[in-house]
Amino acid sequence: MIHLENVSKIYRTGNREVAALLDFSLDVARGEFSVLAGPSGSGKTTVLNLIGCLDQSTRGRIEVAGMDVSRRTVTQLASFRLAHIGFIFQSYNLIPVLSAQENAEFTLMLRGVPKAKRQARIQELFERLGIAGLENRKPGDLSGGQQQRVAIARAMAAKPNLILADEPTANLDSKTSEDLLELMRELNEEQQITFLFSSHDPMIIGCARRVIELKDGHLASDSKDSAA
Amino acid sequence: MNLLRLSWRNLWRNRRRTLITLLAMALSLMLIQAFHNLSTGVYQRMIDSGVKAGSGHIALYHRDYPGTRSEALSFAPEDLVQQLSNLPGIRAALPRLYLPALAQSSRESRGILLIGLDAEKEQPHNPYLKELPESSRLRLRNLRDALLGKKLMEELQLKDGQKFVVRLQSRSGEMAAELFRVRGILETGIPEVDRATIMVNRPAAERLAGMENQIHELALILGAPQAQEALLPQVRAMVSSSPEIRALGWEEAMPNLANAIRLDYASQKVIFAIILIIVGIGVINTLLMSVMERIREFGVMLALGMRPRDLASVILLEGFLLGVVSAILGSLFGVLATWYLKVRGIDLRAFINESIEVGGVVFDPVLRARWDLPAMAWAALFMVLLCTLAAIYPSRKAARTAPATAMRHV
Ligand SMILES: Nc1ncnc2c1ncn2[C@@H]1O[C@H](COP(=O)(O)OP(=O)(O)OP(=O)(O)O)[C@@H](O)[C@H]1O
Ligand SMILES: [Mg+2]
Repeated sequence: MIHLENVSKIYRTGNREVAALLDFSLDVARGEFSVLAGPSGSGKTTVLNLIGCLDQSTRGRIEVAGMDVSRRTVTQLASFRLAHIGFIFQSYNLIPVLSAQENAEFTLMLRGVPKAKRQARIQELFERLGIAGLENRKPGDLSGGQQQRVAIARAMAAKPNLILADEPTANLDSKTSEDLLELMRELNEEQQITFLFSSHDPMIIGCARRVIELKDGHLASDSKDSAA
Repeated sequence: MNLLRLSWRNLWRNRRRTLITLLAMALSLMLIQAFHNLSTGVYQRMIDSGVKAGSGHIALYHRDYPGTRSEALSFAPEDLVQQLSNLPGIRAALPRLYLPALAQSSRESRGILLIGLDAEKEQPHNPYLKELPESSRLRLRNLRDALLGKKLMEELQLKDGQKFVVRLQSRSGEMAAELFRVRGILETGIPEVDRATIMVNRPAAERLAGMENQIHELALILGAPQAQEALLPQVRAMVSSSPEIRALGWEEAMPNLANAIRLDYASQKVIFAIILIIVGIGVINTLLMSVMERIREFGVMLALGMRPRDLASVILLEGFLLGVVSAILGSLFGVLATWYLKVRGIDLRAFINESIEVGGVVFDPVLRARWDLPAMAWAALFMVLLCTLAAIYPSRKAARTAPATAMRHV
């Protein structure tokens, strides 16, 4: 599902260069439930952005869902994301002018799915996620946990192959975090969606099948290798 | 949920800012519509009185007369007067003779323009003749009746009912003279006219100049000024068999008036353009501010798979919707303002005590608007277009958002 080969990402700010990622390689198979761990600034977000085609690598080869994602136009990448990748963000990032329902069906709307089908899909997801009845609320009128559930519904709605989640529980209390994590585990098992998280929460890291640890832009450890 | 609804909601996200921008735009549109309508009303009045006191909506001349104004260049109207009067849309066909002459009283003499006209036909149309009391109108059968400009009367030191002599060179080249009697006073407010005009019955002028059945001008008064466009070609077709006769629209026959109006409207257009530029800058500013505030959100939408092109459309639609709302609101204001300016008008009499003349026409000191709905619609449409154009730069800026960088924004 994901294949990174000697990937480097170097940021230039003024005349200073920051190597956020150096010669990083990673393979993630379909249906995996893995977490990127590591201290702040270790490059977790950078890795997720590169896999999510939100940023271009400085060097190296990246394949996602069988496609080489380097040297594509922004429009091609947008269509690729729409077709294959769901995103969950630390700060939920719901669109404030849209209701919970409209936020969740955003990607379906972009795909041109007819209204009735969209509503049925969101209904199903909202029930599954325990937020049925909140469809018409605006994000501002929802709690953090509820907002993140809507965001999960949004990521799931178009049935992507891969869901990338950058510290999805960092803004939530531990009870809510646990519930959400449990939920994502179930969805992962039911629907064979590949999940890749980043986190520095030991509880989350404990739940993951595979822990990929980053340090200063290098791979520090990978539980898959140690298990093998 | 579609892009249009998303744009509409985004527009009202910062309600106060949007309302302030909207109000500025609507008031600008109102200003443009109301001032356009006011000018149209004023111009229309000027044209109307200018045309009716002057050479009509359409005027027929000898081919070379308009350039030279030489009294030798006359033509015989034959039955044109009758034919043209019968043409639908033409209210009156007024034949006239214009003869340079000398007027002599017992004390003074002055160079004048002797106008021979069909008084009873002119009366209902010519605003100056209309004002005359019954007792000072030209009597048809009395060929000695004359109307004199007010200043001319003073200069000749004549009083009502007194006699004076008009001398001119007749067509045959001899000097001819005739005795006339002051029947009434003509007061137009235009100095050149009031100082040098004498009106008499056309047969009297014909006889004096030895120009039987000859005229210099055949002025056509139309039922509606807009009909000129359709009628002018018809009139030209009717006179095409007489190549020495030329038919002119009032703009050609009275170029001074047409140019005065054109110049005035041109300066107004410059002001309109400046207003629109200011509005455009305001719209760009509002949209750009709202785009800059939403960079993070754009990053999210792009990350979710929205194409940059569609994101640009959302912003363009925001501009378009802003334009539509301001066009509706502004037109509403424009209608109210025009209605007020039509019913009440602007009375300048407190500021103007002398009569003002523009392009040979006396300027009415009470300005009144006149509905010009097509122009109002165009202005409103232009507002929508302007707003959409103003959204182009902000929309490009939004579409160029780099998702990864944008989402690091807090
Ligand atoms: N746009 C940027 N310009 C310059 N440096 C950047 C940029 N983005 C990230 N970096 C740097 O790259 C390194 C990796 O950042 P990244 O955000 O990937 O870390 P992270 O593991 O996600 O940290 P955190 O846990 O705090 O989210 C950091 O040193 C960071 O300062
Ligand atoms: Mg991070």
